[in-house]
Amino acid sequence: MRSYLALVRIDLKLALRNRSVLFFNYLFPLIFFFVFGGMMGGRQPGSMPYIVSMVLVLGILGNGLFGAGMRAVQEREANILRRFKVAPISPAPILVASLITGWVIYLPSVILVLSLAHLVYRMPIPQNLISLFGVVTLGVLTFRSLGLILASVANSMQESQILIQLFYMPMLFLSGATFPLALLPLWAKITAQFLPASYLVTAFQGIFLRHESFFENRTAAAALVAALLLAFFISVQLFRWEKEEKIRPAAKLWVVAVLVPFIVLGVYQSHSGEFLNKANALYQQMQHSGRK
Amino acid sequence: MNDVAPIQVEGLIKNYGDFQAVGGIDFEVRAGEVFGLLGPNGAGKTTTVEILEGLRPRNGGRVSVLGFDPGKQSRKLKDRIGVCLQATNLPEKIKVTEALDLFASFHSRTLQPGTLLERLQLEGKRDSFYSQLSGGQKQRLALALALLNDPQVLFLDEPTAGLDPQARHGIHELVQDFRKEQRTILLTTHYIEEAEKLCDRVAIIDGGKIIAIGTPQEIQARTSGRSIIEIRCEQPLPGAEPPAWTDAEKVTIGEGRRAITVVSARPARTLVEMVKWIDQQGIDLSDVHLKRPSLEDVFIELTGRSLRE
Repeated sequence: MRSYLALVRIDLKLALRNRSVLFFNYLFPLIFFFVFGGMMGGRQPGSMPYIVSMVLVLGILGNGLFGAGMRAVQEREANILRRFKVAPISPAPILVASLITGWVIYLPSVILVLSLAHLVYRMPIPQNLISLFGVVTLGVLTFRSLGLILASVANSMQESQILIQLFYMPMLFLSGATFPLALLPLWAKITAQFLPASYLVTAFQGIFLRHESFFENRTAAAALVAALLLAFFISVQLFRWEKEEKIRPAAKLWVVAVLVPFIVLGVYQSHSGEFLNKANALYQQMQHSGRK
Repeated sequence: MNDVAPIQVEGLIKNYGDFQAVGGIDFEVRAGEVFGLLGPNGAGKTTTVEILEGLRPRNGGRVSVLGFDPGKQSRKLKDRIGVCLQATNLPEKIKVTEALDLFASFHSRTLQPGTLLERLQLEGKRDSFYSQLSGGQKQRLALALALLNDPQVLFLDEPTAGLDPQARHGIHELVQDFRKEQRTILLTTHYIEEAEKLCDRVAIIDGGKIIAIGTPQEIQARTSGRSIIEIRCEQPLPGAEPPAWTDAEKVTIGEGRRAITVVSARPARTLVEMVKWIDQQGIDLSDVHLKRPSLEDVFIELTGRSLRE
């Protein structure tokens, strides 16, 4: 336990000393917030839940994929993990510390964005703050663990960048985070149902616009928890302390294994249509509240 | 208990695919001794040490470190040994004291980090970031981390590689201090002078096999043990061929016939005869140099190659 606490403490200190961590966690979301808030929020108060959801999801994607994934590869490439290899610890405390650090660093930006949305653009504070906290926590932990599994299967910095972009780009544009799902073409809507980030977007929007609880988002939450556990467990197994230890190309398929919960969920949603109905309803509600 | 060697290796084999990195080596390191694995890059030194540290699995042989099998009890073993690996780093923005506190949290028992900083002359750097340390200071910090759990067995893999002579001297003094504290030390190096200066016993390793083992003096004595005699004269030597001095081999005359170099298995006798002959020629000596065979010469004799090739 002592090693877990010590690693979390040092990871937090190192993160706060790293300008790029501070920029991407705090300044970057604020830039998005004010650019979109300035464009839409002033004229259309109903768009704020949409903008806040977008900022939160972009933050989670960046924190997880770049913050956890890229950093893990950097530490391996810089022979830092090699120093930890001679210590009497398993990879678990290192990975757990990465998950917890990402979560602790992310929480202030949630509070910041919600406060600014309320104070500057008069967005009501969501009623289900605990549910919001739950979705945020689950989102950050799951995306951190996805970052870690990508780091586990990447053999070099370049490879990790490609893998991370392969995850980041579709989720940036097709999850409903940046463009409302209701406005996307059919193929994009179908794809969205298989993307973990889409469920975060609709969960946040549901909490802001419909006062939904965590429980009402339980299907998505279950898939996030399953992906989190799978990614964490497989990351521990595939963990490499040294850049010289290369992983076989076939091992990259483990990433697909981690996404199985969302493949199952995507197939289910394609049949039931629940997810797209919810996304459409949320969009209409946003339009409606904007006209009020 | 004390007569049980803390490190025992029998028939150790390690293969990487078709390549055999370590081909069945045997040695033991006795309590309180500094044992050196000397050999060129790629000889199998680091692989051997990393197997003993519990960092790599082995393909064959029996290995015991402090009574643990590194292949099966690596966590327990790592808690008891100190390791200073080649080419490791710490995060750039970690402070020296933070690094010690962090690694202390991984061990079941540790020394006071403050005492270690003092000991390794890092007290002035306690709040410095890792990136602000010099190469020598980084290496001293690595040694401090290796000493954190007050280990009885220390593994030092190329502890002075890449350091300037002054920093290297500092590390040598530390290793000598560790020996005085009765710690058992296994170090790898490709610096001859390091092995000669620090090690009680040395194993010369090449191509994954031990080709000589013993004290540096024993190893030097076991080979043909030829010394090199170099004599410089004030005036050129006469044109006539010098006589056949006793035990002299490979006589070469150079530098405008002012220098003679001779290889001899019994240098004292050869030298006396040489000096007598030069005196008889009415020539004054300007310099006499006797070079004993080094471990490098032994390595060349055994393998036909230099250590740094």
